[in-house]
Amino acid sequence: MRLRGLLWLNAVFPILPVALLASAAVEGRVELPKSLSAPVQAKRYQIVTKGGVLSTQPPLAVVYLEGSFPQPASLQTKQVAQKDLTFVPSLLPVRVGTKVQFPNLDDTYHNIFSYSPAKRFDLGRYRTDERPIPTQVFDKPGLIILRCDIHEHMRGLILVLSTPYFVMTDTTGHFRLEGLPAGRYILKAWIDSRTTRERPVELKNGETFHVDFP
Amino acid sequence: MKLHAFSLCMLACTACAFDVDDFLDRLDTALSISAFHDNLRVRLSGTLDLEIYQFEQPAPGLIDSNIDTLFNPRLTLFLDAQIGSQIYFFAQSRLDRRFDPSDHGAQVRLDEYALRVTPWEDGRFTVQIGKFATVVGNWVPRHLSWDNPFINGPLVYENVTAIQDKYAAFSPLEFLYGPYYEGKYAFNPVIWGPSYASGISVSGQLGKFDYAVEMKNASLSSRPESWYVTENGFENPTFSGRFGFRPNEAWNFGLSASEGPYFRREAEPTLPPGRDIDDYREFVLGQDVSFAWRHLQLWAEFYEARFEVPRVGNADTFAYYIEAKYKFTPQLFGAIRWNQQLFSTISDGYGHNVNWSPDLGRIDIAAAYRFTPHMQLKLQYGFQHETTGPGEDNHLFAAQFTIRF
Repeated sequence: MRLRGLLWLNAVFPILPVALLASAAVEGRVELPKSLSAPVQAKRYQIVTKGGVLSTQPPLAVVYLEGSFPQPASLQTKQVAQKDLTFVPSLLPVRVGTKVQFPNLDDTYHNIFSYSPAKRFDLGRYRTDERPIPTQVFDKPGLIILRCDIHEHMRGLILVLSTPYFVMTDTTGHFRLEGLPAGRYILKAWIDSRTTRERPVELKNGETFHVDFP
Repeated sequence: MKLHAFSLCMLACTACAFDVDDFLDRLDTALSISAFHDNLRVRLSGTLDLEIYQFEQPAPGLIDSNIDTLFNPRLTLFLDAQIGSQIYFFAQSRLDRRFDPSDHGAQVRLDEYALRVTPWEDGRFTVQIGKFATVVGNWVPRHLSWDNPFINGPLVYENVTAIQDKYAAFSPLEFLYGPYYEGKYAFNPVIWGPSYASGISVSGQLGKFDYAVEMKNASLSSRPESWYVTENGFENPTFSGRFGFRPNEAWNFGLSASEGPYFRREAEPTLPPGRDIDDYREFVLGQDVSFAWRHLQLWAEFYEARFEVPRVGNADTFAYYIEAKYKFTPQLFGAIRWNQQLFSTISDGYGHNVNWSPDLGRIDIAAAYRFTPHMQLKLQYGFQHETTGPGEDNHLFAAQFTIRF
């Protein structure tokens, strides 16, 4: 009983200081790149073709606080679906150790794979109703480029981060990151695979910092 | 030790490849343009294939070379354009040594171009006009170098028979023994590769069923030169179709049929008096099945074909193949294919019944490594054995390095 109590304290205490003190916030705007046009789907050898509309994926950025933070006991499972021959969402930031499910919501096969150094995998072909839904655990930080072996135009991104403090901008580039611990950190804005901007910040409890990434 | 060196080599290649890969990703973005508020979207893409073949003479399949070790580079450019949601246009152009691997000089061709209209979003009806691959069978969707688990095509798409489309033999004996005296390029297979003939097709999907019918200017066995409308008009069209049933994503069944005259215009003077090229037709019946689940893919096609041959009668053949591909790791896959083609017997005019071409079987084994989503190395070995006729064997070794952009 005593041992269980100690274990419980041990589990709660590392979180407490962060939870109690995490009261700073950062907000601002990231200058996003120009919107890319919707991809062209190659349908040369498909006997059956449906309408050729694919949605434009507006650029988004991920803003995160770089630092070393304790790893939680468990992380929420996330999803990247394949719907209407696109990845939904097209960009997913997750923390290291997160399990991501890849449900196929189309009435055709997909074959999701990644050759990214941070995670190489190939899920093969699986049906819409296949259970369990194919999953991957992303245990190294880095950028994962998702592709489909059947539909060449499909691209998706998973940004695996070491920090629990991250947020995606809206389509205009605005963001607000809350519940941050006080201290000196580097705030980064991941814009695309070749562009990450950064700014040093000194966060204080109860204050909101304004940071723009031009 | 050797395995370690090989692993290190592959690792180094992969590391280097990722730099090139990043460049190719950016090139892909740069080669896509849009206009009219995204209503017109165009993408230029392509593949660069560097192939090496090592074989015994006579060269197997449609390889046209007197050199036993053949280097065959090929640059393929694709244009895909989407206009609104209903109109799609594509074109394929190649710079290589010939449509099939050969020791000839460089050649630039426009192999495919087609305009496709899909009036309804659900895909029930699509009409396409231009010069494009046949709707028959299930090999066409994977015939390009990046998608084909092998370097060559299945036997039925490349094994030249005693059928000639430019000349009609004057006796059964000449028909039977012509292949021993004439060059291979005078003869035809049952289906010549993906058969990019010119014409019009309609296709669509109704629930679990799909259909496609086409009217083309040349038969399935016709040579690449016959596929152009400038070479061959629509006076003697070929009609082909495929009816498909897909009970779920994993299985796909198809029935195909095709019929049309197979002689070219220049054969007319050699036909029996009073007959024209429309009197001699190629009939093809095909059954195909495919299965895919996780990392395994299986395909099989079975073809029964009949050629009406002047002064000879009907020349029948049956060909099939069974093909399997398995991804061992995200980047490494292996494939195996068993092909066989059997020929009926015809009278040689001297009281003997003989096969009109040698029966043969061929096994193909391939392995491929994808360094990146843009680079692939494929190795293949094929062993071909004739079970009738001269009983010749042939060993084919081939390597293909592909860069896709």
